[in-house]
Amino acid sequence: MTSGGASIAAPGARDAEEQLFETNAGIEIAECYGPDDIRNFNPEADLGKPGDFPFTRGPYAGMYRTRIWTRRFQVGFGSPQETNERIKYLHANGANGFVITIDLPTSYGFDSDAEIADGEVGVTGVAISTLEDMEALYEGFGPDKVSYALSIRPPVSTVTLAMLACVAEKKNVALDQVIGTQQNDPFFQMSGGPLQTITQFFPLDGTLRLCIDNIEFISTRMPRLNWMVTNGYNLRETGVNAIQDGVFTLGHAFDIFRAAKVRGLDVNSFPRRASFFLSASIDFFEEIAKFRAMRRIYAHTMREQFGATNPECWRLRFSVQTAGNTLTTQQPEVNIVRAAYEAMAAAFGGAQSIHLCSYDEGHGLPTEESSRIALRTQQVLAYETGVTKTIDPLAGSYYVEAMTDRMEKEIRQGLAELDAQGGMAEAVKSGWLESQINQARYRNQQALDSGRRPLVAVNRFTIPKEEEKPVKVHKIRADEWGARRARYLAQFRAERDPQSWSGALARVEQAYKTNSNMVPVIMHALRAKATMGEIHDAMRRAHGWEGRQV
Amino acid sequence: MNPKRLLLAKTGLDCHDTGIITVAQTLREAGYEVIYLGLHNGVKEVVKAAVEEDVDGIGVSYLSGQHMTQMRRLLQAMRAENLDVPVFCGGVIPGSDAEELRAMGVAEVIPPGTLSKDLLGMVARALASHDAR
Repeated sequence: MTSGGASIAAPGARDAEEQLFETNAGIEIAECYGPDDIRNFNPEADLGKPGDFPFTRGPYAGMYRTRIWTRRFQVGFGSPQETNERIKYLHANGANGFVITIDLPTSYGFDSDAEIADGEVGVTGVAISTLEDMEALYEGFGPDKVSYALSIRPPVSTVTLAMLACVAEKKNVALDQVIGTQQNDPFFQMSGGPLQTITQFFPLDGTLRLCIDNIEFISTRMPRLNWMVTNGYNLRETGVNAIQDGVFTLGHAFDIFRAAKVRGLDVNSFPRRASFFLSASIDFFEEIAKFRAMRRIYAHTMREQFGATNPECWRLRFSVQTAGNTLTTQQPEVNIVRAAYEAMAAAFGGAQSIHLCSYDEGHGLPTEESSRIALRTQQVLAYETGVTKTIDPLAGSYYVEAMTDRMEKEIRQGLAELDAQGGMAEAVKSGWLESQINQARYRNQQALDSGRRPLVAVNRFTIPKEEEKPVKVHKIRADEWGARRARYLAQFRAERDPQSWSGALARVEQAYKTNSNMVPVIMHALRAKATMGEIHDAMRRAHGWEGRQV
Repeated sequence: MNPKRLLLAKTGLDCHDTGIITVAQTLREAGYEVIYLGLHNGVKEVVKAAVEEDVDGIGVSYLSGQHMTQMRRLLQAMRAENLDVPVFCGGVIPGSDAEELRAMGVAEVIPPGTLSKDLLGMVARALASHDAR
């Protein structure tokens, strides 16, 4: 009853009841779907059984009946000690998997006491500069017991992977028992779009090589550890649509797989632990169709193009985060509902792990309260709604199958276009991808301005600014965290053996030049108390890379 | 009258640029001359470019919580160079911080979900009131 009359429509917005019958990506939606829309539908070939080729119904037999998706909790701020305490608290409260976010200096391979880190230490995530820091993060947990997904990319992920291996060693956990995920996307971990951000502090060739070093080390030494192929999420967050999301995400993964094959890695082995990180956006059925179509394309491509014969290498597994770019700053409580719908699309799409954005993300970094609501929202979905109780419940729906076919067709067409650009790496280097992203960004703003895309609380059903309630915000203590970390690092450096430290860094340089796998060499350097920043400096020197200076 | 010139830039390590790139395009379409410096600028570089390009205003944006530190530095660097133009700050800025930023001298804080016509209104008003001083 409150819609329409009580609302103040933004001037220029369309009539609130006017509808556009197309998906967010612009696919036309018919009035009603029936048998004619899925005339060529062949359940056996197009769907298969859950856990069987082409995995449309889900990557595993049993799916959520066997194991409900992992309720991931994103955590990471300040020092490793503070983050570890928070993880212990959350673990005791029922979170069973953690995405560890990393602060920006660490994400770019700088120590907490580097000049460039000033004002950024511990802000967006935890600071990790030393092996001791990683040990502190795992205090009280074995790396074979608790699953951390480290939100990090090469070159830095090569160092954090080496740290994780060292932690396992110290805790007497065999490397082949270590679980968790190392995000390992060379391109899209840093906010998705710009080439500049991935080439600002490290040479791109080096980043790509270290990505393959990680895959090689993980697939041969740490077979239970997942590595993320593509951070499709961050890419999607730039504003591209669901079709482009599927194209760029899969195209990028296949590019990396080709590079791994060139390295001599076995296509029946290394993709087993490959995984994807995807966005669930607000267009409910389009997102479900996207997830199902992506699994099908992946299965066919891995079997038919890559020639994988191991069924484990055919199945696409993914974690989901609800779409941050669908949240509003205005009337923020409404975001709880958005995230709930998006999470439901992820569940119908067969996600292996789900994380919900907090309702206050348009105002600042999430608070403990808003994070808890986000976790509770998906606990309601998992335990109360019953969506977990049968597998792929939308299969056979005229609309969902027609839309899944259509998404598959559109994504395949896009993949062919991407191949014509020379693949993802080339499309990134040439700026083609960035121009696609920039066009999407501007288009999205125009769609909001014109009201073509309805957004509750922004271009429909707005309230005066005075009526907006203040939102509690996460307190940032960057100065305090920075000062404390600087004191710690000064002491850490003072207490090490200079000779073994400098010898270990010389070995890093040497190995980098001779194209050895860097992970074991970096493990050695970490044991000799070399820091994150020093190891990166050594690799930059070895590359002969002057770098751009801030 | 010549079109107004605006300098847009990201400073520090934050690389979320969807907002600022969209704003740059919106301003260009509305007739402004926009110079976008890209990511990872130091505040001194921003001020230097603003002086050299003789711009009428500066726009920056933050998503990852660096806004207070970075804005303090930028405003200080502007004072050091006697650069007096309106500064616009976009992005994810908590309400209490937005008030503090305005008190520090930031002309407008522009939140996510701002429609283009509102953005253009804010920019035009701030530039006009600065000219009128």
